[in-house]
Amino acid sequence: MEAFEVSNGVMIYYLPQELDHFAADRIKRKTESCFKDGDIKHLIFDFDKTNFMDSSGIGLITGRYRKVHDAGGQVYVININANIDKILTMSGIYRIVKKKSSKEEIIKEMLKGGYYE
Amino acid sequence: MNNTSEMMVEFSGEAQNESFARMVVAAFITRTNPTLEEVSDIKTAVSEAVTNSIIHGYEKSSGMISIRTRVDGRMVYIEVKDTGKGIEDIKKAMEPLYTSKPQEDRSGMGFSFMEAFMDGLTVESECGVGTIVKMWKEIGVSKHQFD
Ligand SMILES: Nc1ncnc2c1ncn2[C@@H]1O[C@H](COP(=O)(O)OP(=O)(O)OP(=O)(O)O)[C@@H](O)[C@H]1O
Ligand SMILES: [Mg+2]
Repeated sequence: MEAFEVSNGVMIYYLPQELDHFAADRIKRKTESCFKDGDIKHLIFDFDKTNFMDSSGIGLITGRYRKVHDAGGQVYVININANIDKILTMSGIYRIVKKKSSKEEIIKEMLKGGYYE
Repeated sequence: MNNTSEMMVEFSGEAQNESFARMVVAAFITRTNPTLEEVSDIKTAVSEAVTNSIIHGYEKSSGMISIRTRVDGRMVYIEVKDTGKGIEDIKKAMEPLYTSKPQEDRSGMGFSFMEAFMDGLTVESECGVGTIVKMWKEIGVSKHQFD
Protein backbone atom coordinates (compact mmCIF):
# COMPACT_ATOMS: atom_id res chain seq x y z
CA MET A 1 0.00 0.00 0.00
CA GLU A 2 1.29 3.45 -0.85
CA ALA A 3 1.41 6.21 1.73
CA PHE A 4 2.36 9.82 1.87
CA GLU A 5 3.90 12.24 4.29
CA VAL A 6 3.87 16.01 4.64
CA SER A 7 6.50 17.90 6.57
CA ASN A 8 7.94 21.41 6.31
CA GLY A 9 5.93 22.15 3.20
CA VAL A 10 7.25 19.09 1.37
CA MET A 11 4.91 16.30 0.42
CA ILE A 12 6.37 12.87 -0.28
CA TYR A 13 4.38 10.27 -2.18
CA TYR A 14 5.54 6.72 -1.50
CA LEU A 15 4.27 5.18 -4.71
CA PRO A 16 2.94 1.62 -5.00
CA GLN A 17 4.42 -1.27 -6.98
CA GLU A 18 2.18 -0.61 -9.96
CA LEU A 19 1.29 2.98 -10.77
CA ASP A 20 -1.64 2.60 -13.15
CA HIS A 21 -5.04 4.32 -13.50
CA PHE A 22 -6.49 2.39 -10.57
CA ALA A 23 -3.62 3.33 -8.25
CA ALA A 24 -3.35 6.91 -9.49
CA ASP A 25 -7.04 7.59 -8.81
CA ARG A 26 -6.76 6.16 -5.32
CA ILE A 27 -3.69 8.28 -4.54
CA LYS A 28 -5.43 11.41 -5.84
CA ARG A 29 -8.50 10.75 -3.69
CA LYS A 30 -6.42 10.20 -0.58
CA THR A 31 -4.16 13.21 -0.96
CA GLU A 32 -6.32 15.88 -2.61
CA SER A 33 -7.42 17.45 0.68
CA CYS A 34 -3.78 18.07 1.66
CA PHE A 35 -3.55 20.77 -0.98
CA LYS A 36 -6.52 22.76 0.36
CA ASP A 37 -4.55 24.70 3.01
CA GLY A 38 -1.99 25.72 0.44
CA ASP A 39 1.02 25.00 2.63
CA ILE A 40 2.51 22.34 0.40
CA LYS A 41 5.33 23.89 -1.57
CA HIS A 42 7.38 21.04 -2.98
CA LEU A 43 6.56 17.49 -4.04
CA ILE A 44 8.65 14.33 -4.04
CA PHE A 45 7.49 11.17 -5.82
CA ASP A 46 9.35 8.17 -4.42
CA PHE A 47 9.43 5.27 -6.92
CA ASP A 48 11.44 2.97 -4.66
CA LYS A 49 8.81 0.21 -4.69
CA THR A 50 7.51 0.91 -8.18
CA ASN A 51 8.26 -1.36 -11.12
CA PHE A 52 5.32 -0.57 -13.38
CA MET A 53 3.92 2.70 -14.61
CA ASP A 54 1.85 3.92 -17.55
CA SER A 55 0.41 7.22 -18.80
CA SER A 56 -1.87 7.45 -15.77
CA GLY A 57 1.27 7.88 -13.64
CA ILE A 58 2.41 10.71 -15.91
CA GLY A 59 -1.03 12.29 -15.46
CA LEU A 60 -0.74 12.02 -11.69
CA ILE A 61 2.62 13.80 -11.63
CA THR A 62 1.72 16.55 -14.10
CA GLY A 63 -1.59 17.19 -12.33
CA ARG A 64 0.11 17.59 -8.93
CA TYR A 65 2.90 19.63 -10.57
CA ARG A 66 0.31 22.20 -11.62
CA LYS A 67 -0.80 22.57 -8.01
CA VAL A 68 2.59 23.71 -6.74
CA HIS A 69 4.28 25.14 -9.82
CA ASP A 70 2.60 28.56 -9.85
CA ALA A 71 3.75 29.20 -6.29
CA GLY A 72 7.33 28.42 -7.27
CA GLY A 73 7.35 24.83 -6.03
CA GLN A 74 9.66 22.10 -7.29
CA VAL A 75 8.72 18.54 -8.16
CA TYR A 76 11.23 15.71 -7.72
CA VAL A 77 11.22 12.02 -8.60
CA ILE A 78 13.53 9.67 -6.70
CA ASN A 79 14.65 6.03 -6.74
CA ILE A 80 13.93 5.56 -10.45
CA ASN A 81 14.66 2.14 -11.98
CA ALA A 82 15.29 1.46 -15.66
CA ASN A 83 11.68 0.59 -16.55
CA ILE A 84 10.32 3.73 -14.96
CA ASP A 85 13.10 5.88 -16.37
CA LYS A 86 12.20 4.76 -19.89
CA ILE A 87 8.59 5.92 -19.44
CA LEU A 88 9.53 9.18 -17.75
CA THR A 89 12.09 9.96 -20.46
CA MET A 90 9.67 9.20 -23.29
CA SER A 91 6.97 11.36 -21.75
CA GLY A 92 9.25 14.40 -21.69
CA ILE A 93 8.40 15.00 -18.05
CA TYR A 94 12.05 15.59 -17.13
CA ARG A 95 11.56 19.06 -18.57
CA ILE A 96 9.45 19.91 -15.53
CA VAL A 97 10.49 17.49 -12.77
CA LYS A 98 13.96 16.81 -11.40
CA LYS A 99 15.35 13.31 -11.03
CA LYS A 100 17.36 12.74 -7.86
CA SER A 101 18.84 9.57 -6.41
CA SER A 102 17.33 9.93 -2.94
CA LYS A 103 15.55 12.11 -0.42
CA GLU A 104 18.91 12.86 1.17
CA GLU A 105 20.21 14.34 -2.05
CA ILE A 106 17.20 16.68 -2.24
CA ILE A 107 17.58 17.74 1.38
CA LYS A 108 21.24 18.48 0.78
CA GLU A 109 20.31 20.62 -2.22
CA MET A 110 17.64 22.46 -0.24
CA LEU A 111 20.08 23.18 2.58
CA LYS A 112 22.58 24.56 0.10
CA GLY A 113 20.06 27.24 -0.69
CA GLY A 114 18.05 25.86 -3.56
CA TYR A 115 15.00 25.70 -1.33
CA TYR A 116 14.95 29.42 -0.66
CA GLU A 117 15.94 30.74 -4.07
CA MET B 1 10.19 -23.05 -32.35
CA ASN B 2 7.29 -22.40 -34.67
CA ASN B 3 4.33 -22.81 -32.40
CA THR B 4 1.09 -20.91 -32.80
CA SER B 5 -1.11 -20.48 -29.82
CA GLU B 6 -3.99 -18.27 -28.87
CA MET B 7 -5.94 -17.16 -25.82
CA MET B 8 -8.89 -14.93 -25.10
CA VAL B 9 -10.05 -13.37 -21.85
CA GLU B 10 -13.06 -11.24 -21.10
CA PHE B 11 -13.59 -9.16 -17.98
CA SER B 12 -15.68 -6.22 -16.81
CA GLY B 13 -14.27 -2.79 -17.48
CA GLU B 14 -13.26 -1.75 -13.99
CA ALA B 15 -9.99 -0.16 -12.96
CA GLN B 16 -9.16 -3.06 -10.62
CA ASN B 17 -8.99 -5.32 -13.66
CA GLU B 18 -6.21 -3.34 -15.35
CA SER B 19 -3.49 -5.23 -13.47
CA PHE B 20 -5.23 -8.54 -14.17
CA ALA B 21 -5.20 -7.74 -17.89
CA ARG B 22 -1.49 -6.95 -17.89
CA MET B 23 -0.62 -10.03 -15.90
CA VAL B 24 -2.61 -12.48 -17.96
CA VAL B 25 -1.06 -11.29 -21.23
CA ALA B 26 2.43 -11.28 -19.69
CA ALA B 27 1.92 -14.84 -18.45
CA PHE B 28 0.70 -16.04 -21.84
CA ILE B 29 3.62 -14.63 -23.81
CA THR B 30 6.39 -16.08 -21.58
CA ARG B 31 6.59 -18.95 -24.09
CA THR B 32 8.34 -16.56 -26.51
CA ASN B 33 11.18 -16.11 -23.99
CA PRO B 34 10.90 -12.33 -23.85
CA THR B 35 13.39 -10.18 -21.97
CA LEU B 36 12.16 -8.39 -18.86
CA GLU B 37 12.16 -5.20 -20.89
CA GLU B 38 9.98 -6.73 -23.61
CA VAL B 39 7.51 -7.96 -21.00
CA SER B 40 7.45 -4.52 -19.45
CA ASP B 41 6.83 -2.89 -22.84
CA ILE B 42 3.93 -5.21 -23.60
CA LYS B 43 2.40 -4.71 -20.16
CA THR B 44 2.48 -0.96 -20.65
CA ALA B 45 0.85 -1.19 -24.08
CA VAL B 46 -1.91 -3.50 -22.77
CA SER B 47 -2.46 -1.23 -19.80
CA GLU B 48 -2.87 1.80 -22.08
CA ALA B 49 -5.45 0.09 -24.29
CA VAL B 50 -7.46 -1.35 -21.39
CA THR B 51 -7.39 1.92 -19.45
CA ASN B 52 -8.65 3.74 -22.54
CA SER B 53 -11.56 1.32 -22.86
CA ILE B 54 -12.50 1.94 -19.22
CA ILE B 55 -12.01 5.71 -19.11
CA HIS B 56 -13.08 6.71 -22.59
CA GLY B 57 -15.01 3.77 -24.02
CA TYR B 58 -17.26 3.15 -21.04
CA GLU B 59 -16.75 6.43 -19.14
CA LYS B 60 -19.23 6.34 -16.26
CA SER B 61 -21.05 3.28 -17.62
CA SER B 62 -19.78 -0.28 -17.58
CA GLY B 63 -19.21 -3.04 -20.08
CA MET B 64 -16.98 -5.95 -20.97
CA ILE B 65 -13.47 -5.78 -22.36
CA SER B 66 -11.97 -8.67 -24.24
CA ILE B 67 -8.33 -9.35 -25.00
CA ARG B 68 -7.19 -11.81 -27.61
CA THR B 69 -3.54 -12.73 -27.71
CA ARG B 70 -1.86 -14.86 -30.32
CA VAL B 71 1.69 -16.05 -30.38
CA ASP B 72 3.17 -17.20 -33.65
CA GLY B 73 6.83 -18.08 -33.32
CA ARG B 74 8.42 -14.90 -32.06
CA MET B 75 5.47 -12.69 -33.02
CA VAL B 76 2.97 -11.54 -30.43
CA TYR B 77 -0.41 -10.18 -31.57
CA ILE B 78 -2.75 -8.51 -29.09
CA GLU B 79 -6.29 -7.24 -29.61
CA VAL B 80 -8.12 -5.18 -27.00
CA LYS B 81 -11.80 -4.68 -27.67
CA ASP B 82 -14.59 -2.75 -26.00
CA THR B 83 -18.19 -2.08 -26.97
CA GLY B 84 -18.15 1.45 -25.64
CA LYS B 85 -18.85 4.79 -27.24
CA GLY B 86 -16.22 4.55 -29.97
CA ILE B 87 -13.84 7.15 -31.39
CA GLU B 88 -15.16 9.85 -33.69
CA ASP B 89 -11.86 10.90 -35.25
CA ILE B 90 -9.23 8.16 -34.94
CA LYS B 91 -6.47 10.18 -36.59
CA LYS B 92 -6.91 13.03 -34.15
CA ALA B 93 -7.22 10.67 -31.17
CA MET B 94 -3.84 9.15 -32.06
CA GLU B 95 -2.01 12.46 -32.28
CA PRO B 96 0.61 12.78 -29.55
CA LEU B 97 -0.69 14.73 -26.54
CA TYR B 98 -4.28 14.79 -27.77
CA THR B 99 -6.74 14.01 -25.01
CA SER B 100 -10.49 14.53 -24.79
CA LYS B 101 -10.20 14.70 -20.99
CA PRO B 102 -7.52 17.28 -20.11
CA GLN B 103 -9.44 18.20 -16.95
CA GLU B 104 -8.99 14.68 -15.55
CA ASP B 105 -5.19 14.54 -15.41
CA ARG B 106 -4.94 12.82 -18.79
CA SER B 107 -1.92 13.71 -20.86
CA GLY B 108 -2.76 12.17 -24.22
CA MET B 109 0.22 9.84 -24.21
CA GLY B 110 -1.53 6.46 -24.28
CA PHE B 111 -1.39 5.88 -28.04
CA SER B 112 2.18 7.23 -28.21
CA PHE B 113 3.28 4.70 -25.60
CA MET B 114 1.51 1.87 -27.44
CA GLU B 115 3.25 2.90 -30.66
CA ALA B 116 6.64 3.21 -29.03
CA PHE B 117 6.51 -0.05 -27.11
CA MET B 118 5.02 -2.23 -29.85
CA ASP B 119 6.18 -2.72 -33.45
CA GLY B 120 2.82 -1.73 -34.90
CA LEU B 121 -0.70 -0.73 -34.04
CA THR B 122 -4.05 -0.29 -35.77
CA VAL B 123 -7.27 1.14 -34.39
CA GLU B 124 -10.75 0.28 -35.60
CA SER B 125 -13.63 2.17 -34.10
CA GLU B 126 -17.20 3.13 -34.74
CA CYS B 127 -19.29 5.59 -32.75
CA GLY B 128 -21.78 3.81 -30.54
CA VAL B 129 -20.36 0.39 -31.45
CA GLY B 130 -16.93 0.21 -29.87
CA THR B 131 -13.20 0.12 -30.41
CA ILE B 132 -10.63 -2.54 -31.27
CA VAL B 133 -6.93 -1.84 -30.84
CA LYS B 134 -4.63 -4.34 -32.57
CA MET B 135 -0.95 -4.36 -31.68
CA TRP B 136 1.96 -6.60 -32.51
CA LYS B 137 5.57 -7.04 -31.53
CA GLU B 138 8.37 -9.35 -32.50
CA ILE B 139 10.18 -10.77 -29.50
CA GLY B 140 13.95 -11.10 -29.57
CA VAL B 141 14.78 -8.15 -31.78
CA SER B 142 16.05 -5.35 -29.62
CA LYS B 143 15.30 -1.99 -31.16
CA HIS B 144 17.64 -0.03 -28.90
CA GLN B 145 15.38 2.91 -29.50
CA PHE B 146 16.47 4.80 -26.38
CA ASP B 147 20.21 4.27 -26.63
N1 LIG C 1 -11.41 2.78 -26.32
C1 LIG C 1 -11.68 4.08 -26.56
N2 LIG C 1 -12.98 4.50 -26.68
C2 LIG C 1 -13.27 5.79 -26.92
N3 LIG C 1 -12.33 6.77 -27.07
C3 LIG C 1 -11.04 6.42 -26.97
C4 LIG C 1 -10.64 5.08 -26.72
N4 LIG C 1 -9.29 5.05 -26.70
C5 LIG C 1 -8.87 6.30 -26.92
N5 LIG C 1 -9.90 7.15 -27.09
C6 LIG C 1 -9.80 8.61 -27.40
O1 LIG C 1 -8.48 8.87 -27.83
C7 LIG C 1 -7.88 9.89 -27.03
C8 LIG C 1 -6.40 9.68 -26.93
O2 LIG C 1 -6.09 8.49 -26.20
P1 LIG C 1 -4.70 8.41 -25.43
O3 LIG C 1 -4.65 7.14 -24.67
O4 LIG C 1 -3.59 8.69 -26.37
O5 LIG C 1 -4.77 9.64 -24.41
P2 LIG C 1 -5.64 9.78 -23.07
O6 LIG C 1 -6.20 8.47 -22.67
O7 LIG C 1 -6.61 10.88 -23.25
O8 LIG C 1 -4.53 10.24 -22.01
P3 LIG C 1 -3.48 9.27 -21.28
O9 LIG C 1 -3.48 7.96 -22.00
O10 LIG C 1 -2.17 9.98 -21.39
O11 LIG C 1 -3.94 9.14 -19.89
C9 LIG C 1 -8.64 9.86 -25.73
O12 LIG C 1 -8.58 11.10 -25.04
C10 LIG C 1 -10.06 9.50 -26.19
O13 LIG C 1 -10.75 10.65 -26.63
MG1 LIG D 1 -5.06 6.74 -22.56
